[in-house]
Amino acid sequence: MSKEDLFRSIDHMYMSPAPHLTMEFQGGEPTLVPELIKEGILYSESKREQTGKSVTYVICTNSVNIPDHLLDFCSNYNVVFSTSLDGPEWLHNTNRGKSDSYQKVIAGIEKVRDAIGEYKVSALMTTSELSLDHPKEIIDAYRANKFNSIFIRSLNPYGLAKDNEDWPRYFDRFVEFYKIALDYIIEINKSGELFVEELTTMILKKILTPFPIGFVDLQSPSGIVNGVIVYNYDGYVYASDESRMLAENGDYKFRLGKITDNYESIFYGRRVQEVSRVWATEYIAGCSECAYLSICGADPVRNYSTQGDEYGFRPSSTLCKKNMSIINHIFHLLDTRREELMPIFQRWITGVE
Amino acid sequence: MCCQPPNNSNDLERNYIKNIKLIDSAPSTLPSIGITGGEPTLLGDKLFSLISHIKAKLPETEIHLLTNGRAFADITYAKKLKQCGTDNILLGIPLHSDCSIDHDYITQSKGSFDETMLGLYNLERCGFDVELRIVLNRITCQRLPQMANFIYRNLPFVRYVAFMGMEYTGYTIKNHDLVWIDPLDYKDQLETAVCELNRWGLNVSVFNLTHCVLNENLWKFAVKSISDWKNEYAEFCDECALKEKCCGLFATSRKQSKGLQPIKVILCE
Ligand code: SF4
Repeated sequence: MSKEDLFRSIDHMYMSPAPHLTMEFQGGEPTLVPELIKEGILYSESKREQTGKSVTYVICTNSVNIPDHLLDFCSNYNVVFSTSLDGPEWLHNTNRGKSDSYQKVIAGIEKVRDAIGEYKVSALMTTSELSLDHPKEIIDAYRANKFNSIFIRSLNPYGLAKDNEDWPRYFDRFVEFYKIALDYIIEINKSGELFVEELTTMILKKILTPFPIGFVDLQSPSGIVNGVIVYNYDGYVYASDESRMLAENGDYKFRLGKITDNYESIFYGRRVQEVSRVWATEYIAGCSECAYLSICGADPVRNYSTQGDEYGFRPSSTLCKKNMSIINHIFHLLDTRREELMPIFQRWITGVE
Repeated sequence: MCCQPPNNSNDLERNYIKNIKLIDSAPSTLPSIGITGGEPTLLGDKLFSLISHIKAKLPETEIHLLTNGRAFADITYAKKLKQCGTDNILLGIPLHSDCSIDHDYITQSKGSFDETMLGLYNLERCGFDVELRIVLNRITCQRLPQMANFIYRNLPFVRYVAFMGMEYTGYTIKNHDLVWIDPLDYKDQLETAVCELNRWGLNVSVFNLTHCVLNENLWKFAVKSISDWKNEYAEFCDECALKEKCCGLFATSRKQSKGLQPIKVILCE
């Protein structure tokens, strides 16, 4: 991405009405251009001071080669690192198709922790088909590496991951995987160790508290555009990360405009207007009469990429089936084991031990 | 319903003058002053001159205003309280149920739930501290866990939540069958409600209930809340290991719980 585009994107970011902003650097591998990251943060900081907004910077990295000078720089700002960890060494390396990926990631995580702080690095896992058979091993690998939370999340049938042959079966297995993992995590918490499952926590927060969550996948109106927007290296603006993945495969359906366009023509433009007609659970068939419409979310991009149109067809939607099963399960737990589980769930939500 | 005995004579003016005199003669070190009723907001704007007077004479004194909160459904009334300029005020407001029908039944006034809720929001908008008071009786205690859930979902901003045992006097006696319940009969629901609110991070307490009628988990929430002039202990309380921490009994109560008994052994943790 050119420096001009970067600054222009940051200008847009500060035009957003939100008081709290997150600026995420994604790749490829952003740490390959550390100077650009620094310039971006410095430019943003100058605007932050003028506007009084708060900003978190996230650097998404494979953690393999984070330069020392970048870490030094980051320690002065509100920067966190996000990396990938799929589970135990053999699983991580098999998923990544490399023999030394795990070692490098772990070394990278330690390096960030040493340089800028224990809680400044988080990990995301890719739940491959192989992963589905090993929930406990994955959780234990996270614990062994001193993480006190995990985000159980399914693959998105976008872009490269689209090659998976049997998505309905994958999602059915994923739900089973989720339940086993959650049970195991609950047992860990009952033994006194605080270990949080992030997906459950977000859904619980929607069920039990009056406060909103900032999770793009579970929002209505949809998280795309309203909660996230992608300024891409190709000079264009996309509705979400997944929209950008579609573009990588030659489908520019969710390209909203050029980075050089003005703010209004992107955020209030024709394309956004079109998508906005299908981006709320309250008014799309299937969701509008669903009991979970305020917990779940609308995702036109996912509908488009899996079902061929933005509106989507709930009866055969794998997203709907997965979300409904998971939300059902959480209600079932609240219903049958409330007394036992509320203390744990409340601790996950409040973060207070 | 207030369990205090009713008074039908119009004594507003006389009492107002009496109160001003009381304030004038109070020492400036007075830590707190309670304004209660009846319903103090029935004084209308006079309430504000009373509060302004306290603020002028006793700037350090904390004001504890007990009200049903309904008058504050009118935002201009809430703003007027703000204009009195005192930040040193806590409003104690009862909420009887998460269910408007039950609340209105207890207050014997249709629409009072809605007004109290709106009042609570307006007070929060103006930045006041509120102590939400849940008076425990036969009607409200059925839904204590749901009530806790309602409070957290709709009023998470309140400063304190107090669950209050009932004094057996005044209207309570008159409506005995409807409202009286032995605290033993709701102790589990009370435990769920208090513990859940506490884990959400709200500041919860239990007023007017002795340790012996509470589940052990709730002991740390129990407050010595009964005013000294109407506070007493039973004879056997002398044998109780927790007497020092216990609120004791209402001397004014003409009926007590079956669960009263000295607690002899405290298990060390
Ligand atoms: S569970 Fe399905 S129908 Fe219900 S809101 Fe979610 S996607 Fe829509």
